[in-house]
Amino acid sequence: MALTDQKKTAQLDSGILVVNQSRPTKVNCWSCGAMRAAHFCQECGKVQPPTPVDYFTFFGLPFRLNLEPEKLEGEFYALSRHLHPDINAINSDREQQWSLEKSSQLNDAYRTLKDPITRTEYLLRLQGVQLEEQSKAATEEARRTGKLKKQVVPPDLLEQVFELNMQLEEMRMNKKMGEPDRTLERELQDSKKHVQDRYNGLVEELHAAWNEWDALIDRAEQGGSVLEDDRIAVRDKMVDVLNRRNYLRNLLRDIDEVLEN
Amino acid sequence: MAYSDKVLDHYSNPRNVGSLDKNSAEVGTGLVGAPECGDVMKLQIKVNPATNIIEDAKFKTFGCGSAIASSSLATEWVKGKTVDEALTIRNTDIVKELSLPPVKIHCSVLAEDAIRAAIGDWKKKNGQHSQAQAAVQPAPVEQRA
Repeated sequence: MALTDQKKTAQLDSGILVVNQSRPTKVNCWSCGAMRAAHFCQECGKVQPPTPVDYFTFFGLPFRLNLEPEKLEGEFYALSRHLHPDINAINSDREQQWSLEKSSQLNDAYRTLKDPITRTEYLLRLQGVQLEEQSKAATEEARRTGKLKKQVVPPDLLEQVFELNMQLEEMRMNKKMGEPDRTLERELQDSKKHVQDRYNGLVEELHAAWNEWDALIDRAEQGGSVLEDDRIAVRDKMVDVLNRRNYLRNLLRDIDEVLEN
Repeated sequence: MAYSDKVLDHYSNPRNVGSLDKNSAEVGTGLVGAPECGDVMKLQIKVNPATNIIEDAKFKTFGCGSAIASSSLATEWVKGKTVDEALTIRNTDIVKELSLPPVKIHCSVLAEDAIRAAIGDWKKKNGQHSQAQAAVQPAPVEQRA
């Protein structure tokens, strides 16, 4: 993770909070020349050509993580109705093509934003987070300095995941031999509860991080300044929660699989 | 996705599966994980205190075939090497040996991390500060194709 020491101050536009993303400036409607709204010309209502925008911008939303699902859904259906290729079948070829492309963009955007986890992952991607790249960079750093690589998940979690996997393996063996171990089964059921609690606790942690993030966006939108360090700190908090979540989710899946079979 | 023959060989016939006494002063333990896929890998080494040669190595990995093969290969490679020699093993060497596809490169990174973590643990136990390997020439991590 390239943590920068520089205390850079984000500019007034909240769009700057997203690395390498700039919001499209208003352009003229291709048909009547008036300034256009996001997808249709405000003057003549014609569909506008698709632009490669991020999903938040597609919906005209700020880069906030708390959003009202009903509102998003309403917006999705409203846009779907207007962008549907059938509606545009009587229009010119290029308008049909645009509505088709925009419909597909709309579906992707909605699918990504409606789910809290994919929404968070998407925002992190916009923020330039690439888990695998980070891991490689940390390995390189460890080689260079001779220091131990900092593991992205806490050691006690790795320990727990490892131990539970050992138990799961034993349980699978026992079952294969036709000698299920009832004590082990009870232990696993207890562990499952523990893992489930830890997993549920992550939702709260994630929401807390969302609130911090949204506060930064709000501050920027109101013309305030946002320190680069603050942005990175909240971003990394979310990365951390999602990393731990990955492990716990896999673990729960594996425990269920063993207990049910 | 098709695994290479070498991956399949290590996967169906893994070398050095097991564990060593983690409380022994001669044993170093590395436990590492890849959050991308939720894999965990434990690698242990037993070092001869007189020669600094790794005399035994064991691993246990919960993960995909490539992660298992990478750690199996790692235990094979570190055995008979001195601690400092083992630190020169690169994930790129593992990628080459096992012909890992780009999506599985993180498995090889995990194996290198595990070796490093095990040696780090051993050094800590034996009061050595891990500065020795700073002299080792850093090699670039294999990038995605």
